[in-house]
Amino acid sequence: MGTTVSIELGEDRPEAELGRLITEVCDWLHEVDARFSTYKADSEVSRFGRGELRIEDASADLRHVLEACADLWRDTDGYFDAYAGGALDPSGYVKGWSVEVAAARLLAAGSHDHYINAGGDIRMRGNHPDGGPWRVGIRHPWEADKVSWVLALHDGAVATSGTYERGDHVVNPRTGRPAQGLRSVTVVGPDLSIADAYATAALAMGEAGIAWLAKRAADGYDSAVVTDDGRAFSSANLPAAV
Amino acid sequence: MRRSTAAAVGTLTGAALIIGVRLSVTPPEAPAVAAPVGNLAGATPAPKPSSKKPAASGSKEKPAEKEQEKSKSGLKDGVFKGNAAANPYGKIQVTIKVEGGEITDAAASYPTANDSATINPPAIAALKESTLQAQNADVSAVSGATYTSESYVKSLQAALDAAKA
Repeated sequence: MGTTVSIELGEDRPEAELGRLITEVCDWLHEVDARFSTYKADSEVSRFGRGELRIEDASADLRHVLEACADLWRDTDGYFDAYAGGALDPSGYVKGWSVEVAAARLLAAGSHDHYINAGGDIRMRGNHPDGGPWRVGIRHPWEADKVSWVLALHDGAVATSGTYERGDHVVNPRTGRPAQGLRSVTVVGPDLSIADAYATAALAMGEAGIAWLAKRAADGYDSAVVTDDGRAFSSANLPAAV
Repeated sequence: MRRSTAAAVGTLTGAALIIGVRLSVTPPEAPAVAAPVGNLAGATPAPKPSSKKPAASGSKEKPAEKEQEKSKSGLKDGVFKGNAAANPYGKIQVTIKVEGGEITDAAASYPTANDSATINPPAIAALKESTLQAQNADVSAVSGATYTSESYVKSLQAALDAAKA
């Protein structure tokens, strides 16, 4: 996926055990990369995209991802679009989903206190090693070494999409033109794959995304937004640290 | 990049705290369901249906029940339901209670199931505008649009990881 993953386990367990847990997470993420990378011509998603693989012969993971992308396309009025760039590219869902799965596996293996940060998209559980919630900063959209909000969470996901990294890379699928209006969109909620997709969709919507995000709060997805002209918006229940 | 941290927090403590936290993460949903019950009776949604089926219509609507006692206001005692007024999100129905010719109570029912429950009550929901902060805070992790390994190297998260490793 061409991204860097940071993992922190906050448990009092033998170093070897913790090391094994981390190795398992890394193995899973590499497996996902091999299957879903659009940069690898022989990945399953590339073969499916070229029509060389029938849906019936696809892995359960690929079928799940395609279904989830279709659901999110409907839930976001078409603004989350795995085909936005023409060819199939479900990376916008795969990253959050793979981390969500990795975190669930950590929990199943007895890790109650951890976070995984994959390229700025974070899933966390339990406590910080010093006790209390994990404190997550949201990167300031103009000053890379500053944060614009600090969140305090024990259990949940935080995903941020922004135009400040790749410039006009995010395309509004309705117009085919680069998304404009919002510079940074952060969504906080129970599931990282959903939070990530919502953040991407809202960014593609532009300013209309602010009102769209407000409605997601009722489903447990809070948000924090910075517009191109530097205005900041956040939902009432955003778990901001005091 | 990869790292593990051994901590003084025991697993049992961790598990107990997680339960506490789940509650604190869930609240966003709670107001949507809880608030309406008391609030909406006299609040915004009520006026619309009640203007279609005004309180006074109780007597005009059912002329058949003439033998029932009427007061000077023309309102019969009893509990009356207006016709359900449909809107795109469901039906709203106003109920009034008349005692001694006066309306002593009014309530509006509104959809609480499916999509309607989430769309109706928090319809006023909007994101609040605030001043954009730029702080140097003590954080465990940073959420940001970091798309490449190259941009990770320059990120605040990388600095945090380096500091902890």
